[in-house]
Amino acid sequence: MNDRVSKWIAGAAAAAVVALASPASAQTTYNIASIADFTGPYADIMKDLVGARRGAVDWWNEEVGKGLGIKVGIKDYDGRYDAAQTASLWPGIKAELNPVAILGVGGPDVAALQGRLPADKVPMFMSTAAYGFAWKPDPWIFSPRPTYGHEAAAFFEWFRGKRGIKGPLKVAIISSEASPAYVDIAKGAEKFAKDNPDKAEIVETVFTEVQPADLTTQIGRVIRKGAQVIDIQTNTAAVVATKRALQALGKTDIAIMMSSHNGLIASGKAIGGMKDLEGDYEVYGMAVPTDEKTKAHDFQQMVVAKYKAQVTWSVASVMGFNQALVALRAIEAAARKVGVDKVNGEAVRSALMAAQLTSDQTFGMLPNLTYTNDAPFPVTGLTANIATIKDGKYVIAAENVPVPVIAKW
Amino acid sequence: MFDPIDFLNYLINGALVGLLYALIAMGFIVIYRASKVFNFAQGELVVFGGFVVWWMVIQTGLPLVVALPLAMVMSALFGLAIERIFFSRLVGESGFAMVMVTIGLLILIRGLILVLFGPQVRPFPIIFPLKPVIIGDILIPRSLLIGAMITVVVGLGLSWFFNNTRAGLKMTAVAEDHQVALSMGISVKRSIAFAWALGAVLSTLGAIIYLSGKSLNFLASDIGLSALPVALLAGFESIAGVLLAGLIVGAVQGLVTAYVDPVIGGAVGSVFPFVIMLVILFIRPTGMFGWRTIERV
Repeated sequence: MNDRVSKWIAGAAAAAVVALASPASAQTTYNIASIADFTGPYADIMKDLVGARRGAVDWWNEEVGKGLGIKVGIKDYDGRYDAAQTASLWPGIKAELNPVAILGVGGPDVAALQGRLPADKVPMFMSTAAYGFAWKPDPWIFSPRPTYGHEAAAFFEWFRGKRGIKGPLKVAIISSEASPAYVDIAKGAEKFAKDNPDKAEIVETVFTEVQPADLTTQIGRVIRKGAQVIDIQTNTAAVVATKRALQALGKTDIAIMMSSHNGLIASGKAIGGMKDLEGDYEVYGMAVPTDEKTKAHDFQQMVVAKYKAQVTWSVASVMGFNQALVALRAIEAAARKVGVDKVNGEAVRSALMAAQLTSDQTFGMLPNLTYTNDAPFPVTGLTANIATIKDGKYVIAAENVPVPVIAKW
Repeated sequence: MFDPIDFLNYLINGALVGLLYALIAMGFIVIYRASKVFNFAQGELVVFGGFVVWWMVIQTGLPLVVALPLAMVMSALFGLAIERIFFSRLVGESGFAMVMVTIGLLILIRGLILVLFGPQVRPFPIIFPLKPVIIGDILIPRSLLIGAMITVVVGLGLSWFFNNTRAGLKMTAVAEDHQVALSMGISVKRSIAFAWALGAVLSTLGAIIYLSGKSLNFLASDIGLSALPVALLAGFESIAGVLLAGLIVGAVQGLVTAYVDPVIGGAVGSVFPFVIMLVILFIRPTGMFGWRTIERV
């Protein structure tokens, strides 16, 4: 072979290499801003929450993004569970990342950004349940779960059926005016009871301090009013104080119902052992992180094994996975709709509104989700899962319990 | 329908919670008497004391009889350290400067607790039996009852100390005026150091009663705020007066919580002590038993 031919072959080979390599080099990168509380009151659970977000992004980049020609970058910011901190961070985040989506943690992030995001046209994805006061049309902040009131109502209906209660379930609510969110949570359950007097009756909503000194008197009162369930969706301190009051009064047959952020595991740690919470429940519209084999648990184990994700199987990690997967699926839908190189925050929001997100797409972390312009969460067709402590073990009590429709309050 | 038994239950429980506030308020008063400093970080001292008890009992597994006195000693040392690092340098400075330092201290202690113990909610050991005392239809939480007894004994003891012992009278002189006390040969620094140590110990005692069998994280510092109306009602110089003020604030709060909250659907009971506080500030800024200062021009 002479030199001339060799040069032609080498040139052709080089062109082939460049051509083959071009999809990778043409990969478009979009960013997600990941707000967490590394120095705030929930800093202890953020490792799992952030680890789950990162695990989900790594999985998506490898198994979905590569095929689309998209790479999603994620960067963490410390919101300190402080609206002022999040508000002050946001202009810098926008300038630095130009994010197509934000992952938020709680009320402070919502309070800080809900007025800005419609103008900035960047959607934020939450992982907690939604709030009645944020139940407004044309949302830019999305929750994958209904309101806490909806989740509580799902439990009331399930519990009523389980116990074979013919009349309304008598519920006492322990709340606090320390946070508007806590008051809103109580209002949601009250609204359900008001509109469905044959299904639930709120015997009393007890407002306490966030760390009550003693609840024996209040619990004694609601017991006399016939409470069959005590709904506590505020914090673990209230759960512990209520349980101690029930124990002091010798009433261990009245179940406490908790949420995800103050659930059985967290409250069990705060009270000093799971045995104290035998027969109590937690309810929320996402996967329950028990040891049982579920599709969601398999996904967590897969991202740990394959993508070296630093994440255990906990309520916090389910929350991190759920919001990251919703955001990633919305980016994916936007890319298919507007084109790989034309994805922006507005396109991500439109894509989320346009299509149903199936439970399979979130690996069972969430039920099927259909967002509309009416609310920041899917108002119909949702389900919730319920966990309990049985023989000292954290187990699933019920899955895919229908979430009742509640009128806006 | 009005039930006299319910009324008594609410009244007694409220009064007992009020005496718990009084114990925390004593920490405010002891420090104020010696240094004329209103300590905004009193609630954080309660949380610090609580975490020390938790660490000794739950983490190191020490028996209560050893852990509780040790926790008191550690709290006293913490109080001394605060005085040595911050307030010994501020003798003779304006009250405003010292108050600003206590606000800084609040932020510092909160951060220190997060660094040392983490933000997790911890189980606080059961110091007092959970079973309530039941007298007929009256039900009294045992921890609050024992706590109330401790508060009365401590309050009367401290009152006697401040009014009848040489060391107590010296501290009273310091409370009157640092310069005058210095000119009389009284060690202002030592008095203030003792007050901080005592304030920290009282906070730890308060944490033990308040948190027995419950959970602990930095939110427990809110009790410092709840104790403020009690200290104001009593007047910032009266230790014995704080017992009466605690009973009044607690009983009123208990009754409002029981009878007004269910009607209005809100935490009027939590707000009411602060309404009392504002009324006191308008009518009698020195409180019921506070010293009335007469200034000669």
